[in-house]
Amino acid sequence: MSTTSTNIPLRADAPAPTVLVVEDEVLIRLVIADYLRECGYKVHEAVSGEEAIAILQAPEVSIDVVFSDVEMPGDMDGFALARWVRANKPGLQVILTSGAERSADIAATLCEAGPLMKKPYASQDVVERIRQLAARAKLS
Amino acid sequence: MNAASVTVLPRRTPPSILVVENDVRIRCLVSDELRASDFKVLEASHAEDALTVLDAVRIDLLFIALDPSGEQSGLEVARLVRMRRMPTRVILAIGDGMLAKAAAEDFGLILSKPYQTSDIVELVIRTLNWPEAPA
Repeated sequence: MSTTSTNIPLRADAPAPTVLVVEDEVLIRLVIADYLRECGYKVHEAVSGEEAIAILQAPEVSIDVVFSDVEMPGDMDGFALARWVRANKPGLQVILTSGAERSADIAATLCEAGPLMKKPYASQDVVERIRQLAARAKLS
Repeated sequence: MNAASVTVLPRRTPPSILVVENDVRIRCLVSDELRASDFKVLEASHAEDALTVLDAVRIDLLFIALDPSGEQSGLEVARLVRMRRMPTRVILAIGDGMLAKAAAEDFGLILSKPYQTSDIVELVIRTLNWPEAPA
């Protein structure tokens, strides 16, 4: 198999985590969600923090990792969403992403996996981060 | 090569469907059901996002609920698709309002709310003829 493939498939024997992608920019959301699906993840999409919470509260949906933009319209930005997750869904992993430098320090206190991913990010890096979080969750 | 010698090859990639619905749980449910039927599904929560996607990506079928939130209505998006002569089929999901129904009738493919997700899949398969029936 070629090692130059840009997609990083999941191991066949590992159950695919479900990722909630929260991003208000439709074309950015489309690209990263598509990429994650091609890598074997099940992906749900939300355009705002409010939509993300609606999905997280839906009894029929189970999410393993939240990948959220920080800057979003509405009352709830990515930080507020991460705080909500910490308070209401302990153990659920959150990855924040932002184009703003100022966000790094705050994100470091909210994300178990360390500082946020700076935009523009490489899709492969997102997959690698999700993979790390999923492995960590499995060990804990 | 004359026209008679042209062979139409069967389509190899699944059709792409843009689901436009402002209720995230319904959007999620509909999209999941269509993906389970092997369609490529893109999601938008409102008309403006739908237009952004339509401008950037080739979409075979637009499934749009009237009226999603936003300044532009689903019906306007459907009209725009027709006006631009885009090769995109349109299915409108409409509520009880007679006004919306009258306006939507012009488009032919209508699904009345509330609907079952299986109804959507069935209608989409029929509309796109996918997977193609053997000749």
